[in-house]
Amino acid sequence: MFTNLTKLDLKDKQCMSDAGAPKLCMKALPGEGAERSCAYDGARVVLMPITDVAHLVHGPIACAGNSWDNRGARSSGSQLYRRGLTTDIMENDVIYGGEIKLKESILEIAARHEPKAIFVYATCVSSLIGDDVDKVCREAEAELTIPVIAVNCPGFLGDKNIGNRIAGEVLFERVIGTGDGPDEKIPLSINLIGEYNIAGDLWGVIPDLKNLGITLQTAITGDAKFDDLRSAHRASLNVLICSKSLTNLVRKMEICYGIPFIEGSFYGIHDTSETLIHIAKALNDLDLLERTLVYVQKREDETRKTIAGYRKLLENKQAILFTGGVKTWSMVSTLAELGINILAGGTQNSTPEDFHRMKELMDPSAQIIEDTSSAGFLKIIAEKKPDLIVAGGKTKYLAHKTRTPFLDINHGRKLPYAGYQGMVTFAETLTRTVLSPVWGLLKQEFPPKEGEQDD
Amino acid sequence: MTKTRHYEGNPQKNSSALGATLAYLGVNGLLALLHGSQGCSSFIRLQLSRHYKEPIPLNSTALLEDSVIFGGWEHLKKGIAVAADKYKPQIIGVMSTGLTETFGDDMVSALSSLRSERPDLNDLPVVLASTPDYIGSMQEGYQRTVEALITTLAGHPTKRFEQDYSEEVPSIALLPGCHLTPGDVDELKEIVMEFGFRPITIPDLSISLDGHAELEAAPVVQGGTLLEDFQRLAKSKACLSFGLSMKDAGEIVKQTYEIPHFNFPSLTGLEVTDTFVLTLAKISGKPIPAKLLRQRSRLLDTLADFHDQLGGLKIAIALEMDLMYSLASCLVEVGADLSVALAASQAGIHKLSLPIPIEVGDLETLEERAGQSTLIIANSNGRQAAGLLKIPHLRAGLPVFDRVGYPQKCWISYEGTQQFLFDTLNAVG
Repeated sequence: MFTNLTKLDLKDKQCMSDAGAPKLCMKALPGEGAERSCAYDGARVVLMPITDVAHLVHGPIACAGNSWDNRGARSSGSQLYRRGLTTDIMENDVIYGGEIKLKESILEIAARHEPKAIFVYATCVSSLIGDDVDKVCREAEAELTIPVIAVNCPGFLGDKNIGNRIAGEVLFERVIGTGDGPDEKIPLSINLIGEYNIAGDLWGVIPDLKNLGITLQTAITGDAKFDDLRSAHRASLNVLICSKSLTNLVRKMEICYGIPFIEGSFYGIHDTSETLIHIAKALNDLDLLERTLVYVQKREDETRKTIAGYRKLLENKQAILFTGGVKTWSMVSTLAELGINILAGGTQNSTPEDFHRMKELMDPSAQIIEDTSSAGFLKIIAEKKPDLIVAGGKTKYLAHKTRTPFLDINHGRKLPYAGYQGMVTFAETLTRTVLSPVWGLLKQEFPPKEGEQDD
Repeated sequence: MTKTRHYEGNPQKNSSALGATLAYLGVNGLLALLHGSQGCSSFIRLQLSRHYKEPIPLNSTALLEDSVIFGGWEHLKKGIAVAADKYKPQIIGVMSTGLTETFGDDMVSALSSLRSERPDLNDLPVVLASTPDYIGSMQEGYQRTVEALITTLAGHPTKRFEQDYSEEVPSIALLPGCHLTPGDVDELKEIVMEFGFRPITIPDLSISLDGHAELEAAPVVQGGTLLEDFQRLAKSKACLSFGLSMKDAGEIVKQTYEIPHFNFPSLTGLEVTDTFVLTLAKISGKPIPAKLLRQRSRLLDTLADFHDQLGGLKIAIALEMDLMYSLASCLVEVGADLSVALAASQAGIHKLSLPIPIEVGDLETLEERAGQSTLIIANSNGRQAAGLLKIPHLRAGLPVFDRVGYPQKCWISYEGTQQFLFDTLNAVG
């Protein structure tokens, strides 16, 4: 089963003509240096945080070998998801086909690691040599007692967004609602969709949900257990965190299981409160709503009090923001909360909606970064001379060469920034970055110019 | 040993295209263009960047579904042309991937077709390295690319200036393998300079990936071997290659320019460094510098002081072949035992030997076999095995992302060997 791309709700989108808008329906040109990723990467981002299953990549070493265990998605239990498993397709497999090797691998992994399920990822090479991953998975499943799930996500299908959506399809078709347990709805329960527990983000949000009496059925897929995912259809509400990458999933869950969905974000005080209130409203429980209104006010006050000192230090600093997904707009208000102005903003891997939302939230004078390559990003830094840069890790080391304070907010980071607690951590880390004495040292002229030595 | 399982668990292997990228990153003014899907280049950038803590310029031909059906030949031509026009690199270095090698894109004919369509690009040197992901590992990709760099660029006429390097300072060609860090290469250059040579280093990571603060936002490599250096190869007094994987590249230099070639499979350890130093003394006709003799004497003293701790070590090691051999043979030399020696790929495993058989294996095999060892030496991904077995873990190889300063480390020559032994003993605690 190859995913029909039209089904993924991509091709009906209008191309955006706005400069700097995410190029959803535009192909990257060879040689232009767009620095985007592939569908396989998109699928693994969504599925690989599922903790108690095995993730087997049917491809040559470039797909799994260069990437396993490299994201900060954390687990409170099983560490099986961090294991790099691949069929390591070699020259002979390219010639003779890799189906037998794949099947043997599945059976061996099932025996050695006792996973709750095995996800098998097809890649460019396995698809090209015509390995029927679906068939092999079906055959292996027949010999095992666990689900063996094919994920048809060869990189050449497109960029990350397409992979995200394919993963959503797989979850809907093969995981959600497939358990043996009861099907009835759990009152006041939600799924957090697109929350991957990067650096433990999820754990910063769960206490607030608990305090309000909201049950987290599962995150999709941060710190997720396979059995909880199978019962995801029992939740009363889907809360879409990472914007649109899994819209197809929540839409289908709405149709099939009658679960409504809302969008939200847990980055920053404002968005966290708003999301909690929206959840309470959507759960349609007046008592919960009242509780929530009081609770968020209390938490906002507490958090603002805690970060007041940081705000004082950061106020009126000028920032450049460059990120993707939900962080695109969520970070704008988070930085505003700390009194930071945004000089320029840019995005990659976001949807048009995210982009517009970011644009609306930013000051009209803020520039949109049009050239989203590293070179373009650096050019903006040279022009704007910001006090700080907030961006994803891949631009981090280049940004450091400009001797400008830089904060990594993507999957490479070590600290959780979600929820009220995350806001405090964020403010604390950002302050430490901006006020670090090293930037001053980096900017000193050496050897000093003549005549300045005695100053 | 026959392979008992069909999958690779916790691979230690990196892709050969990653090795190609690494080699290209040591050549100044080069734009590396990966012929494959965008994910291939994205993963390589991420992997190298978390190891070196540096930006990794790597472009791609961004293949999609249609090119899989119709082939990527036209895409490659377009990619070279777009990159040349947009970024004006001095050199373009192309590497292939599993995707393009499977549908069989002929890179050579694509390039010549492009040149006939765009005669203005005739003077732009384009290096083509064939590095399908399904053959070999980082080491093989690096090796193939260094060979391609030498054969393509050494013969390329310098149009801009036929500079005549006055040869009062004789030059010597150095071909460091991918097992050497920028810190190692730096030391290598220092040593040959001590003997009065001007080093021509191919590739030279010590001035491109050494992590220095001055760097522009550019999609091409800054620092590294100069294009002119490749032409100067002809006037080198000798060629020294490091790591068995670099032997063929050294032989190419030897045959092309009729200069002597010496290969050093390892430079970590006392006797291998002795051989290296004696070779340099012989080629240069100069005595061994006092500085090196002093460092040798310090190493000897260290060996005496810590012989007992070193002799008590039981090492489980898993690395790419050249580095595995270098570190393992050094530890054997000082009396340590090896419990398991796993190379990332087949390359060279039958040509070099250790007291125990060298096998090809992943880190899951390491985990299964390292139980009785006192130390694991592997890249950062060995942390799962080390954690489960509760055995100390010395980080080496690539990627090393959870310890700082690895790319700056020097574990070669007398001083570097001493440092390696210190690091080994300190890791055991």
